[in-house]
Parts: sequence; C-alpha cells; structure tokens
Amino acid sequence: MDFVKSDNLVYDYKTYNEQSEIVTNRAVDGLDIVIPKGQFIAVLGHNGSGKSTFAKHINALLLPTDGKITVNGLDTSDEKNIWDIRQSAGMVFQNPDNQIIATIVEEEIAFGPENLGVPSDEIKKRVEDSLLNVNMAEYRNSSPMALSGGQKQRIAIAGVLAMHPDCIVLDEPTAMLDPIGRRQVINTLLELNKQGITIILITHYMEEACLADRVAVFDKGKLVLDGTPKEIFRQVERVKELHLDVPQVTELAHLLREKGIPLPDDILTIEEMTAELEKAGIKKTDIKPEKEDGYTIPETLIETENLTHIYGKDTVFESVALKNVSIKIGKGELIGLIGHTGSGKSTLIQHLNALAKPDEGRVLLGGFDINSDKTKLKEVRQRVGLVFQYPEHQLFETTVFKDVAFGPKNLGLDDDEIKKRVKASLEAVGMSEEYYEKSPFELSGGQKRRVAIAGVLAMKPEVLVLDEPTAGLDPYSRDEILGNVKKFHDDLGITVILVSHSMEDISQIADRILVMNKGSVEFFNTPRKVFSHVKRLTEIGLNAPQISLLMDMLNDKGAGLPRDIFDTNTACEVLYRSLTGVEK
Amino acid sequence: MNITIGQYYPTNSLIHKLDPRIKIMGTFLYIAAVFIAKGFAGYLLCTLFLAFVVKLSKVPVKMLLGGLKPILVIIVFTMALNIFFTGGKDVLWQYGILKISVQGILLAVKMTVRLILIVMGSSVLTLSTTPIQLTVGMEYLLKPYKKIGVPAHEIAMMTSIALRFIPTLIEELDKIRKAQTARGADFDTGGLIERAKSLIPLLVPLFVSAFRRADELAMAMEARCYRGDVNRTRMNELVMQKNDYLALFALLVFVFAVLILRLVWGI
Repeated sequence: MDFVKSDNLVYDYKTYNEQSEIVTNRAVDGLDIVIPKGQFIAVLGHNGSGKSTFAKHINALLLPTDGKITVNGLDTSDEKNIWDIRQSAGMVFQNPDNQIIATIVEEEIAFGPENLGVPSDEIKKRVEDSLLNVNMAEYRNSSPMALSGGQKQRIAIAGVLAMHPDCIVLDEPTAMLDPIGRRQVINTLLELNKQGITIILITHYMEEACLADRVAVFDKGKLVLDGTPKEIFRQVERVKELHLDVPQVTELAHLLREKGIPLPDDILTIEEMTAELEKAGIKKTDIKPEKEDGYTIPETLIETENLTHIYGKDTVFESVALKNVSIKIGKGELIGLIGHTGSGKSTLIQHLNALAKPDEGRVLLGGFDINSDKTKLKEVRQRVGLVFQYPEHQLFETTVFKDVAFGPKNLGLDDDEIKKRVKASLEAVGMSEEYYEKSPFELSGGQKRRVAIAGVLAMKPEVLVLDEPTAGLDPYSRDEILGNVKKFHDDLGITVILVSHSMEDISQIADRILVMNKGSVEFFNTPRKVFSHVKRLTEIGLNAPQISLLMDMLNDKGAGLPRDIFDTNTACEVLYRSLTGVEK
Repeated sequence: MNITIGQYYPTNSLIHKLDPRIKIMGTFLYIAAVFIAKGFAGYLLCTLFLAFVVKLSKVPVKMLLGGLKPILVIIVFTMALNIFFTGGKDVLWQYGILKISVQGILLAVKMTVRLILIVMGSSVLTLSTTPIQLTVGMEYLLKPYKKIGVPAHEIAMMTSIALRFIPTLIEELDKIRKAQTARGADFDTGGLIERAKSLIPLLVPLFVSAFRRADELAMAMEARCYRGDVNRTRMNELVMQKNDYLALFALLVFVFAVLILRLVWGI
C-alpha cells in the first residue's frame, strides 16, 4: 500500500524583499513520488534541493501551492485530516535542542500522546514501550539537556513513537551529531523499520543512504534519481555532478574498472569490495610501503607544555578534560584535530588563545607564555584566531562588510586598513563584492559561515583554529569551505588547526593529524602514519576513512599491502599493481 | 554545564512529595497567618510551625538562611525605620525627630520577625518543589478561572518552556561571548555608554538565535499535534493523596489556632 503519494507537488516560499515586494522562490517543482508502507527511503540532495520542504509536506506543516499530496490515503490540504496525518507521520528535526519541550525525559515522550488526548494509564505504557524501543529506559528520569546529541535524538524518536505512527520522517537527524551518536540513531531507525514503520530519512551522509531500501535524489525541487542504493551509486559521475558524495569504495571500484579490472559497478561496502577483490585475484604480493614522505616539522610556533585542565575542580562534578598534553605545532602547518565528543579537543583549542586557563602547564606562543601577562591578552587573541562551531550564530551587524570589520575595529586600526583587511578576508573565503552591503542574515547557511570565518581572518591571525567548520553543511558547501581553508593556508601562510569529526575531510588536506582520546594525545603524526593504526582508531570511537578500513581488511586476509594508504587514488594504484603485477 | 534554576533542593521528604497545589495554597495560608498574628505568642506559634515543616522537608537550615541574604538590606532598613520613627511614650533616647522608644523597639522586632518568617516560609515552597511542579500546580489552581478568560494552560506552557530554555540560552550566551572575545571584543572596560554598546554584539546574536529556536520549537510542537488545551490529557494527573489531606488539615488547624489567639486573647 502506498503511504505517501505526491502528484505534481509544487511549493513556493514567499518572502518580502527590501522594496516590500513579494518574491516567490519555488522550492518543490512538480514532484511525483510514491513511498510504499514499510519502506526505508533515504532522500538526498544538496541544500535548497527541496527535500526539507517535501518532508514538511508529509507532516502537513506545509500545504502544497499546487498539486496534491496524500499521506496514508488522506489529502493534506483537507483541514480535518491534519491531526490524523500528524499522528500517523511523525517528524524528527535536525537540532535536538530545539525540539525538546519538557525538562524530564518521560514527560518529553508523553507530550505527543497528551496532545492526542490519550488516557494517562495508556500514556504511561506508551512512554515505557517507546523508551525500551530506543534503548533509553534507564534515562527516564533524567533531564534531556544532560544527554548527548545521539541520546537526545533517540528521545525525540521515542517522542514520535509514543504517538503510534505508521511512518517517521527525519529531517537530517544526524547532521549535528558525532560518529557515535550517528550510529546510535541509524541503528534505532533500522530496528524500527524492521517492526514495520516506514522511515523517510533526509540526510547528507552517503553511508546512511547505503543502508536504506531506496534512495531518492532531489535537485531543484524535482526527483532526479530514484532506485536502490546500488542503482544510484553505480552512477558515480552523475551523483558527483549533483554535488553529492559517493562511498569511497564505490569510487575506488569505479577507478579500477576504468583501468580495465573487471569489478562489478555496484559495490557499496568494504566487505563487498574485499570479496570482489579476492575474486578478481588479488595476489599475496609484498608491495613495500612507499618511502617515508620525509615530512619535517617546521620551527615551532605554538606549543603546550604538560597542559592539564579540570572542570569543576574540588566539586563533585570534577572531571579532567585535559591531562598532561604536550604538543608542538610548527609555523605554517595545517593540523587536523580529531577526537570524539568529550575527548578534550574543544577544551584544548580554547587554551590556545587563553579563553580557558590551564590548571597546570603552560601554553607558549612563539616562546611567550600567553597566560603570564594579562595586559597582552588582546594581542594573544589577535595572534591566535578562533572560529567556533556554527560561527554564523555570532553574526550581528547590518551588513556583511560591517560584520567582518568588527574584529579589525576592535584592534583600533584606521579606516583604510580596515577596508583593506575586510576585502582581503572576504576574498579569501570566496565572497565577492556584491555581498558586501547585504545583510548577513539573508545569506545561505554556507555563505553565512564563510562570512563568519572571514570575520576572524580579518584579525590577521598567525594561527587560525577552526572548530568543526563543516558541521551540518551539505557536501558541496563542505568542499567549498575546506577548499577555502586549504587556499588561505597556502596563500597567506597561516598556521591552521582544523577540528573535525570527519577523518575523510581531514585526511585530504592536513599536514599532520592530532588524535585526542580521553583528554590525552593518542596520535600526533602525518596522515599516513595515523591511518596505519586503523584498528586503534576504530577502538576509540572514530571513523577511519573507508579506504584505510579496506586496506586493513585486505591485509588481515594476507594481502600484504602497505598499511598507510587512505586516499582513493593511491589505493587504486597499489591495488592495480597487486592485481596485475604491472607497475603503474 | 550545570545550571540550577530557582533553588530546588533535591531530596526525598514528605514535603517534597506533597501535591504542589497544597504547597502553593499552604504558602499563601501561612503568609496570611503571619499577618493575622499580633503578639509574641502568635509569632512563636508561626515560628514553631515553620520549624516543624522545615524539619519534615529535610532542607538544611543553612540553605533557608541563605535565602535571607538578598533581603538583608530590606530587613535592616525596616528595623531602622521602625526603631527611629515609631512614636512611643517610653522614650529612651531622642535626637531631633529621631526617637527610640520601648514601643518602637518592640514593633521593629515584630516587623523583622514577620518579614523573616514570610521569606523563609515561601523559601520552603521553592526549595521543595521543582519549577515544573510549580507551574503544573499553578495551572490546576487557575483552572476554575478559565471561564473568566484566564489562560491557565497557556501561562503554564509558556512558563515551562521558558524554564526549559533558560539553561540553553545561558550556554548560548556564553558561547557568543567567547566568540566575540576571540574577535577582540571587550566587555569589561570603558564607561557606561561604551559598555552598553559593547553588549550589541552579544544581544543581537542571542535574540536572533532565540527567535530561530522559537520558530523551530513551534514547528516541532505542531508536528506532535499540539493545539493548545484542546482535548488534552496528562501523563501525571495531580491526584490528592492521604498525606495531602493530612497536610491541608494541619494547615487549617494552625491558621485556626493563630486566629483564636488573635481574636480571643488579642495576641
């Protein structure tokens, strides 16, 4: 039976421009899609492709401008159906903090059934069942705010489950989570799907889409690709054209096929790839690792000496965030900083510009102890720029230009210099002059973020720390920002420290990778060296790049490949040699 | 981050488990009793009753006394006012219009005791009841006035959402403050106007974010079929238990006793 059926669905957003004229923006443009009951469908598409707008139609939060959509056989534009539709198609949103209403987990889950007028005894039963279903029963009396992101999202799912829905629509539920939280949420969804609940998952993560029964790709408000994950991702070129990612192994298989290796074109997982490569006759060759890349660490610019930081010292809440961290970062290096939530990476970066004070140890910038002289704080903060997570949330001025000028103004520079710096920084993040006089609040998510980064760049820092600059962005905006970072690092010679959850992002651009675990340094070395410890990385809850995992699995089966490969091109070369015996 | 709102003291006591309605009404009755009492016998009775309730609530006396700190100035001021400006016949000391008399001292002591009892009495309520329970209690108590247009449910819902978002917004403010500090903003120096101006980079983002959150929250609530107080039930309905009736009875006996003291003996 069809659960969702849209027929030439059209939706226009109407906004007012500066002249108070109505501007229409077509978000969904003649969409025809049928989603049968019980399906797990992943909806992909870059920002502005209309996928969120579509999701809100399923819940009757938005009503079609034209065309028609039925949910569970009910027309959403008929007002008397609204509550039945919202009960049968529950919705989970991106930001866990902004959808939690109550201060106790139990009451949060009870909110939906309370609205439906379910009797109290029945509500209690439903709350209990829903908590068990998402594996959160032990937290029933906790405050939702004290939970991790992944747990919060599972509470949100439980809140929907308690309404006994037939379908759950999730609008990028994992975008703000770390890899562990993401896995928790996805496993919960797979489990619920097994119980017969239709899952409509909007996501940017291809590894999540690979787990679905079906993948639908949106572009410009239309459905452009539709099929099983295998059917979609085998079209490597087309998917990339739509600014989406392809799983690394799929891409690797694609590259090897182009070189004439007979591999199937629909490989999605590491296991499949390993099996196929074995079938293709990977020999037990002994390819020596390439020579050491001979990376030499430049002269030290910023370093920490036995840095220790304890939160809530001498109270019952005492927790050690950093213990004995000693690192040296060279001038002009691009450092990738990685670690799961609570590994101490955020605390560490706040020490680098004296926003946090060490309990023990020192932070040295060019040999100067930054906490030794309070009058130099301003100077330290100018020399070490810090871009926080979701930096677009700190924009406040009326125009892009003024906002970026805020930092230089605080430094007391003259107007000419300010102008010069603003221009240079906006250029460095790829924002052209037409945006200068626009309100920062009118820009798209990715653009806002680039403006915010420019705001810190305009301080002309020697060291720039970026805390998860790509969080919550679609693959296209993500690549743009990473490209910007790489470019201004190369052009301006700034030392950059890039914090990220994504190994794949970092591995492509970092000179060295610093891996934090439980407040200590686990690894601090070149990407090749770090990724050769795949097993340890997985153990401490980090996602190693798929390619590293593949190499590891092949080696476990005795393939004798070098362990320090993490990118598709090198992997392709090495595997080609191993399969054919031919050099290059 | 751990931010406590209000001054709830988590423990498991008889008072903590009482129906919030009883506690709210009880507090009002107690305040009334303190005002009814006229002589020292009445105040003694009020003090003893409060001591009894505090003992039952297991709230440390230190915390209760801590609640007096913010009103210390008011207490001292009231005392001084009563000591110096009460006209009495047994004058002990006089300087111009300032006059200290026996009656003045007695009145000052009475007023101070009254103030302290009221503040401590209401502290017991906030120390033993979570903010959410308080709003639920208020909603129930206001229900009868719905007919004359008091939006009881809406008030309660707004209050509980505000309570829920206070820690979130404080955290957000802290983040914005750090972010602007990293851009060289200075919030601690300069004159009054400069300081007020320096708040703009904090407040604008905070408000923008609050509006964004409100927008998203409204959508999330709608998606979960929220439509105001239409056909709504509760998981935990407030139901009076044996202890609640007992507490109500004890309260009424106490108020009655204070009333008798006042009416019969005038003390």
